[in-house]
Amino acid sequence: MNGGPVSEADLQAYVDGRLTPEREREVAEWLVERPKQAERITAYRAQSLALRSALASVADEPLPASLDLRLRHSPGATPFPARQAGIAAAAALLLVLGGAGGWLLRDITSPPTTGTAMLAREATANYMVYASDSTRPVELGADHRRALDDWFSNRLSRPISSPDLEPVGLKLIGGRLVATEHGPAGLYLYADGHGRRVALYVRPMKIDKNDRMVRRQGEGVHGWTWADNGLGFGIFGLEQAETLHRAADMTRRHYLAA
Amino acid sequence: MSPLIVQRGMMRSMNPNSELIATIQPLIPALRRYARGLMRDRSEADDLVQDVLERVISRWHQRRPNGSARAWTFRILHNLAMDRMRQRATRAAPGPMDSVPEDRLASPPTQEDKIRYDDILSLIAALSEEQRSVLLLIAVEDLSYAEAAEVLDIPVGTVMSRLSRARERLHRMSAGEDTDQKSPMLRIVK
Repeated sequence: MNGGPVSEADLQAYVDGRLTPEREREVAEWLVERPKQAERITAYRAQSLALRSALASVADEPLPASLDLRLRHSPGATPFPARQAGIAAAAALLLVLGGAGGWLLRDITSPPTTGTAMLAREATANYMVYASDSTRPVELGADHRRALDDWFSNRLSRPISSPDLEPVGLKLIGGRLVATEHGPAGLYLYADGHGRRVALYVRPMKIDKNDRMVRRQGEGVHGWTWADNGLGFGIFGLEQAETLHRAADMTRRHYLAA
Repeated sequence: MSPLIVQRGMMRSMNPNSELIATIQPLIPALRRYARGLMRDRSEADDLVQDVLERVISRWHQRRPNGSARAWTFRILHNLAMDRMRQRATRAAPGPMDSVPEDRLASPPTQEDKIRYDDILSLIAALSEEQRSVLLLIAVEDLSYAEAAEVLDIPVGTVMSRLSRARERLHRMSAGEDTDQKSPMLRIVK
């Protein structure tokens, strides 16, 4: 391992997604052989997620006037117009904040048309179109799993296979090939015990050939993206935060071990 | 008249400049969130943030121009929060955390998530203040390890070890293995 032995600090930084992509891959590989540690890391990530979720709405609460700096002015000294303008500005700011909605997202700093940020948008769009389709969400069903994997492998010119996600309660429904600006992408759909759908989206990457696992959110859909060895992945769903994370870890291990 | 009230009265006469507003205003939602994570009580937390804003205005000229304004502001918040919590601790023993009324909780959670969210906030309330703040700064506020070190005024190495202990303790508590105050042993990873 090039970066030296994996330390506890490395593991903490891995939980927080703060390692360089190279080191992150090394730690991910290290964890493949240490299920106990991997389980601990998964639990830590679930904690962070639960904490963020529990406190997320605080940042979206309307700002009380007492906490709004723009509403402060010393009498007579301010060139700014009356309170109404301030309130309008506050409302505008709230809209901006609400739109940015993902205080927890790194999308803001990522280029919007390339890399895993773009992949996240494609995956979200596909999730919204196909996961909600009750008539024909998939082109090939799970009973043709092998044919589906071969189809994706052919079109993406990479060995692609659907990971077994039953340990986290997700059953494969099937999949379909979808079109992107960057060529074809594979979309697998899974369902949990309540029938809620989870999408695994995969396509080759030209830019972020290796990228850390990043949490994404938009349009009410959320999940994780990452890239290893030129292949980009996204796992997306609705409410199942913990399931999604565990599924993402499991898929990543599935491909790293392949 | 308490010193806080005096200070607030003074602040009213100060007009935050536009640079200050542009820098600090976007941080306010996160400041409220961190305060809520530390104090849990909504009005106490917002009251604390208001004090932070007063102090930010009065000390704006003292900040290092090249330093991280976020770390500087969070540090002010953190120190004021610790002062308040110490005062609170000497005033009265705090009530049991799990008796916090529902409307004081941050999230209107779905039925399914409710237990987990309530749980996690109760659980972090049982952590030491040191562990709780490091976890909130890193895991929720997304501060870099260096920024967290600046906020807490400790070396980065200490940030990492506190973070590790906080996570392990929380993990054990949620697994029902650790309900007392002693910190877990750090695992050695080879």
